[in-house]
Amino acid sequence: MNGIERPDDFESRRAHLRKLADSELHAYFWELAEKIVDPLIDEARTHTTPSIERAVLLRMGFSSFEAKALVDQMRGRGLLGHGAGHLVLNLATARNLSVRAAGEALLDGHHWEVLST
Amino acid sequence: MKLSPDQKLDIREVLKDLALYRPRRKGWIWRQPITDHQVGPFILKDTSKNLKNSVPLPAAHAFENMDPQCAVVVTTEIASGRFEDDLRRMRMVAWHGADHIMVIRTTGQSHIDGLIEGTPEGVGGIPVTRKQIRATRKALDAIEEEVGRPINFHSYVSGRAGPEMAVLFVEEGVNGAHQDPQYNILYRDINMHRSFVDAAEAKRILADGAILQLDGAHNANATAKEAWKVTPELFVQHAINSAFSRAVGMKKSYIALSTVPPTAPPAPKMRLDLTYAVALREIFEGYTFRAQQNTRYMETDTMETTVTHVLDTLISRLTPTNIQSTITPDEGRNIPWHYNNVAGVNTARQTFMGLDGLDDLLTLREEGKWREEARNLKERAVLFLEEILKGGGYYAAVAAGQFVDSGFFPERKGDGIVRLPDKGDDADTVIPRASDYGAPVCSHFGDNIYTSENGKACEAYGGCTLCDPSKIRYIDEIDSEDNVETRLSKPLADLAAGKLSPEVEKHADGVVCVTIFVPDNPEIAEAAAIEMAKHMGLTHLEVISRRVMHPAEGSVFEIKGVLQVEINKHELSLTVPEQPLADKEIEAWVRPRRLHIVAATVGEDEHSVGLHEILDIKHGGIEKYGFLCHDLGTSVTIERLLDAAMEYQACAILISTIVTHAHVHEQHMERLQKLATQRRVRDRLVLLAGGTQVTDELARTCGMDGGFGRGTTGRDVASFLVRTLRQKEVK
Repeated sequence: MNGIERPDDFESRRAHLRKLADSELHAYFWELAEKIVDPLIDEARTHTTPSIERAVLLRMGFSSFEAKALVDQMRGRGLLGHGAGHLVLNLATARNLSVRAAGEALLDGHHWEVLST
Repeated sequence: MKLSPDQKLDIREVLKDLALYRPRRKGWIWRQPITDHQVGPFILKDTSKNLKNSVPLPAAHAFENMDPQCAVVVTTEIASGRFEDDLRRMRMVAWHGADHIMVIRTTGQSHIDGLIEGTPEGVGGIPVTRKQIRATRKALDAIEEEVGRPINFHSYVSGRAGPEMAVLFVEEGVNGAHQDPQYNILYRDINMHRSFVDAAEAKRILADGAILQLDGAHNANATAKEAWKVTPELFVQHAINSAFSRAVGMKKSYIALSTVPPTAPPAPKMRLDLTYAVALREIFEGYTFRAQQNTRYMETDTMETTVTHVLDTLISRLTPTNIQSTITPDEGRNIPWHYNNVAGVNTARQTFMGLDGLDDLLTLREEGKWREEARNLKERAVLFLEEILKGGGYYAAVAAGQFVDSGFFPERKGDGIVRLPDKGDDADTVIPRASDYGAPVCSHFGDNIYTSENGKACEAYGGCTLCDPSKIRYIDEIDSEDNVETRLSKPLADLAAGKLSPEVEKHADGVVCVTIFVPDNPEIAEAAAIEMAKHMGLTHLEVISRRVMHPAEGSVFEIKGVLQVEINKHELSLTVPEQPLADKEIEAWVRPRRLHIVAATVGEDEHSVGLHEILDIKHGGIEKYGFLCHDLGTSVTIERLLDAAMEYQACAILISTIVTHAHVHEQHMERLQKLATQRRVRDRLVLLAGGTQVTDELARTCGMDGGFGRGTTGRDVASFLVRTLRQKEVK
């Protein structure tokens, strides 16, 4: 499945642009680009992905292997929408553990019931 | 870790204590421009600080060995598959002026869902892992100390693990990165929602880490059927990535447009490409420009490629350009060889140096057809943007095949790349953030309960790795076979034993390249050339370049092959020739002394070319240093030479014996020595002989003070004379 075919009708299409000064054309160019990008930014602001969540856990002091194992399990349990780091930090606070100890406990299969509530 | 110019890079030292190594600085770094800079005999306009250690361009010896450095950053891309070999290549290119080193990732890394660890070998690049980048950064920290200029280290934040890669890069002191979700979508077929959501997080991390971001638009040049027709779309690709990056919080100056002059001769390159380059820079004022050299129209002739790249660099020079990326001249025929990285860097360096001060000489015309064409390109780009919005936005436009269509927009050929919003890798992995979504870390983008007005998101647990690097979890090796330690056993053993083999890419790969011209039609000539290469003992032959000189008279081939040979360097007998004195030093000593020299071609010998080369100022001979030369001509007797030497009170006699037979040249030398002694003037005269059959050893046996054979220059002779005469003066 490919796109449309169309001859080069630039001369007729450009009519509304011709009268614009260069600076106006540049401003219009950026106005359009920002309009295209707006919904993409909104989506990014309100969504997350396994890679983002692994990147959060990396920053919290987990290795790449640990981050991957934790995120895979959280995703499997439908928890990732809360944020992997948030889940680990919540557990640490609830059980008075360090962040690392909380993550290690989860990797050992403990405390998952705390996250689900 | 400290490097010494006469010592090889010690990979063992690089790998030592890596678990504890921290980068010395973070973020991108520019050269400091210097204008009106005295370098060698000239005052230059467009330079930066000289290097502490470097290899100047070959012609530099005629200009006091000057090695000026241009003001723009110079990039080279390195990809051998083994980072330990790449480090040596990085050191070589740094000595030739590269300060932006881009490490290509191994094939397929963008499809791996997560980070890789350890030091596995790659294909067409290296697996970018924490250990490999940490080792590379450590080596580069030492190399930048050696050359005296900071080096930017660069790799890729794309694929399915962009945000993690971005964290890794900031933690480990990587300075530049490619990040462009459009690249993921169009060329990696990774789901478009995933690509943009990931990109926002990755860009936020890069922005806070002051990492310079490059976009991926140049790939459209490289893949388009007719690269000069994709230009309106390139404005659009740059704009989408730039506008998205700014919305995430990246500064304009850290957003670099990766732009390529789209054509190559015999196309009218300057007219097409310069027009496009100027139009682009006008719309994207305030952004950073990374000018790449053309790859789309690279064939196998490295000379042709080099000329195209010189023109690319000229376009960079005529437009605002902050980074000049170089492409190795052999990229059209093989994975780049290390000395071709150096060749590519030198193409840019040589061109920029030659164009120093160009702004004083010319400016681009404000009017004319080219200005209209530049305007047309911009309008075509605006029409492209309008069509995206009309069709329902970016995702819909990609689904409709609007990108990488070979038509000159608004022309459409219907052959664009089509990707569907719900398809591609990881199509089901984008998850809505719940109302209590939180990410208690720095450099996080989007809705987050931990974003507090005052204080850091990570303070609840004492700080994230970006604030406290001691929390970074370092993994060493995971594969007991596929790792650098295993790979190093042979190189280290060879080093210890003094074994040397040819190399273009990896240690002892044995690859050599021979150039063979064969005088027959192309098919026969090629078959014959391959046989000839076999006779040289080469195996794994591959013809990597063929150029027809004439359909019947012959063709020239470059053939690569493996030469299975190990030379033990301890068994080599080396004669180290004395380096000639510098031109300035010779002249300063000679000119005030008004030294007379008598010279002639002796015997029955009418060939005086060699002597002219040594004497005449026109040929770079010794006259230029101020020697007063008396050339008596050809077929001169030894008696006449000595008479003339007395008459002029000469300090030296030069005899040339070019065509000789039956040791007659030896007899001439012996006779000169004998007669000079008989006349009691031997001590006053330096006696020198030259000629194709003469060696220094032979001349000395025949009583001369020195002898000069093939390839001798006036500087060699002048230098010898000064050294000998200086010693006499002391006595």
